[in-house]
Amino acid sequence: MKTLNILKETTLLDWVLFVFLLIMSISGFFFARILSANQSDLVTVEVKGKMVYRLSLLQDTTVNVKGPLGTTVIEIKDGRVRVKDSPCPEKICVKQGWTKHGAIVCVPNKVVVIIGTDNNRTLDAITG
Amino acid sequence: MQSQDKLRIAILSAFAIALHAAERLIPSPIPWLRFGLANIVVLLSIILYGFRVGITITLIRILVGSIFVGTFLGPGFLLSLSGGIISTTAMYLGSILLGNLLSPFGLSLLGSFFHNLAQLTVAYVLFIKRIDAVMYLAPLILFLGIITGSINGIATIALLKKIREDEG
Repeated sequence: MKTLNILKETTLLDWVLFVFLLIMSISGFFFARILSANQSDLVTVEVKGKMVYRLSLLQDTTVNVKGPLGTTVIEIKDGRVRVKDSPCPEKICVKQGWTKHGAIVCVPNKVVVIIGTDNNRTLDAITG
Repeated sequence: MQSQDKLRIAILSAFAIALHAAERLIPSPIPWLRFGLANIVVLLSIILYGFRVGITITLIRILVGSIFVGTFLGPGFLLSLSGGIISTTAMYLGSILLGNLLSPFGLSLLGSFFHNLAQLTVAYVLFIKRIDAVMYLAPLILFLGIITGSINGIATIALLKKIREDEG
């Protein structure tokens, strides 16, 4: 009963907003999928926006990159990538674990690992 | 500033900081996912006491919270600050422009959306600088924001009802 009372307080525009945001985020998933449709086995490692490594997902390797905080260790194995070790305080990039597509981002150490897409920045023009 | 407002800001900021600290203890499947429970306090303050009280609580919460957690002036601090200011402003504008059309549920959704939008923008401009990396993350972050925003909004409605019942 109590939840029903709370739902009664919501307005039509609330739900219009809710559905609008839901549709926007879900269509965003598909948009991101289309972006990654030209999936390749390319792994790009960038520090502070500058590319430092171009690697292949198919070749097992471990590389060290130097960021502002120290050395981030990136490991490629069995067609997957992970950040094995990072000097950042929260270790979010390490906790993300093995990743097959998309990206791993370490904000504190300014390291970005992109899987799949080539180094195209053409979208900058559309989104401003 | 009235002394009544000062008292309110002090007490409500304490609530916001406590919620902010407590939510770090909630186990989360995604490491960077935050419920933003402090936003319940901010939204409540905007509705009951206006923008100035709301934004002051936000700023105090971010400042004190970051000193407690140890992220003061770090990258996380800038993300937190931008998100907090933009979302508080968005919720206030929503409440005065669309006050009767949006309940706290809608206002909370609005706040969560602008919070994420501001954070993604700041992360892109200052740290990531890769639009495709941001595009991968954005849908997931916005989707999670809808869920947490809904929870916070419903909690705010429940609290407001309780407060108004108690007052008479």
